[in-house]
Amino acid sequence: MMFRNLVCPVCGASCDDIQVEMTAEGIVAKNACKMGNAKFQELASPHRIRQPLICQGGEMLPSGWEEALDRAADILASSSRPLIFIGSETSCEAMEVGLHLGEYLGGVVDSNSTVCHGPTAMGIQEAGRVGATAGQSKNRADLTVYWGSNPLESMPRHMSRYAVYPRGYWTRRGRFDRTVITVDPRRSLTAENSDLHIQLNPNTDFELLSALLALLHGQQPHPSAEEVTGVAIRQMEEMLELMKGCNYGVIYAGLGMASSYGKHRNAEMAFHLVQELNNHTKFVIGALRGHCNVAGFNQVASYLYGYPFGLDFSRGYPRYNPGEFTAVDLLRERDVDAALVVCADLVSHFPADCASYLGEIPMICIDIASCPTTMLSDVVLPGVIDAMECDGTFYRLDDVPIYFQPFTASPFPFTASNQHTLQQLMERVRGRKEAGS
Amino acid sequence: MGFMEATLSQYFLNCSSGEGCEGMREVLLNTGSTIEEGRLAKGGNKLGPEYVEECAVCEISHVDYAELGFPDRVRIWTPDRKHSVAVHARPARSLQPGQIFMPRAIWSNLVVDPDTFSTGSPLYKGSPVIIEPTQEDVLSAAEIVRRHYSRGKR
Repeated sequence: MMFRNLVCPVCGASCDDIQVEMTAEGIVAKNACKMGNAKFQELASPHRIRQPLICQGGEMLPSGWEEALDRAADILASSSRPLIFIGSETSCEAMEVGLHLGEYLGGVVDSNSTVCHGPTAMGIQEAGRVGATAGQSKNRADLTVYWGSNPLESMPRHMSRYAVYPRGYWTRRGRFDRTVITVDPRRSLTAENSDLHIQLNPNTDFELLSALLALLHGQQPHPSAEEVTGVAIRQMEEMLELMKGCNYGVIYAGLGMASSYGKHRNAEMAFHLVQELNNHTKFVIGALRGHCNVAGFNQVASYLYGYPFGLDFSRGYPRYNPGEFTAVDLLRERDVDAALVVCADLVSHFPADCASYLGEIPMICIDIASCPTTMLSDVVLPGVIDAMECDGTFYRLDDVPIYFQPFTASPFPFTASNQHTLQQLMERVRGRKEAGS
Repeated sequence: MGFMEATLSQYFLNCSSGEGCEGMREVLLNTGSTIEEGRLAKGGNKLGPEYVEECAVCEISHVDYAELGFPDRVRIWTPDRKHSVAVHARPARSLQPGQIFMPRAIWSNLVVDPDTFSTGSPLYKGSPVIIEPTQEDVLSAAEIVRRHYSRGKR
């Protein structure tokens, strides 16, 4: 049986043209990239977590759903400052429940969006952003700049669906009507496939952006800019001429900008540069958001509580202070006493000091497959795969909401979705708190 | 001295004299996606041998790789020598001297600088590290968890 127009739950591209055929031989996913294809195979994979697990005597042992849920509720209800970390491969509806749970417990709620484009969000708060939907850029952009991003490996269909190869209304010849610039210290696959590669030194994005802004204002950058950035002023001028001379330009900012020295100041400077470029032509900027619904957490948290990530509820109302109430900092400083991790592998993807501390505190994990985080968890609840086994909403990389419908049902009798699991957990926690008060 | 050299020398105080640091190089670590890393992670294969082959890898500028003596494996240290990890070494022409690249995974994140500079996001790109050739075995993800992270719980 063939299912069409499915949404892929892997990266921020939220491709909505996936076709899946379920046959006796297996699952065939068409239009999906390598990552998407691998995810669709998870429906029937042998390493799928199919029952709850509880740590007993240092070993993860199968348990019943009620028992696992009770243990998880006990951990959260007895914690004085729990961290609730909501990964990106789940729906906005599940995120909403997670945020409410954090508020009820007086804990801290954070997500992948912090370690992904958190600094970019902070840059937007500082400078504002000239943005556009992916469709606008597909139809209009004749200049695409990948700044600190490598979509051919992190978002494989970005170039073919939204940015470079598709034929747009004003870019009828597709790739032939577009110029591509990549700014990256490494000659990545994307850089190899670009018209111009600006190979700056690592950690010098702020300096290069400042130099471009100076040139745009008709000033000469300080001569040290060449040595610091590793980019000749002549090459900066060449890049700037392309940017000023296009009809519609777009910068896709990657983690090369957000994760290196300068952090949110890099993003802020990029937003200022784009604002100034609009004195010459139409120019926009957006984040290349690698994780599936990472934009969704920013939207849901902002809508519900006024802040995009790293929300602390310890005083009964939301507080926001990146560096203090954010997951990496809280774990590094050993400032939480339990963790609920939803659809994320923190032990693999957080620095060692943080991962090490997760090994010391009680941890509950919701996931679909075994990983380092499930290894260190006290309770593992089986995850339901959004967009395949339940419906919900993702936000695409350009902050456009995409409603998705499942083509099969949750394989578990005890939960219909991660949202449902979190709702059940919330009820148990509430029962314990009310019984104890 | 340029900005970058000045920054590095602040991090690598132990090696600034050169004593006891033979065969080591101070470099900047860039971590990021690779398509195979993505395929394996999204396919739930983080504990398998294929993931080790793809992700327990350090790409080194071919210039630095030659100066290190064409090693099969390297050990990567944080500047404070608190954390280290042994991974497979590969030469790469895509990198400038003084830079290394590792796929984002448990091996690279062992040595990523955890400071977030008040943003919540660690230094996944541009972390200062020290690399040296090693004969030590490359651990699997499960072995890394057991050896480095499970002392308090398991």
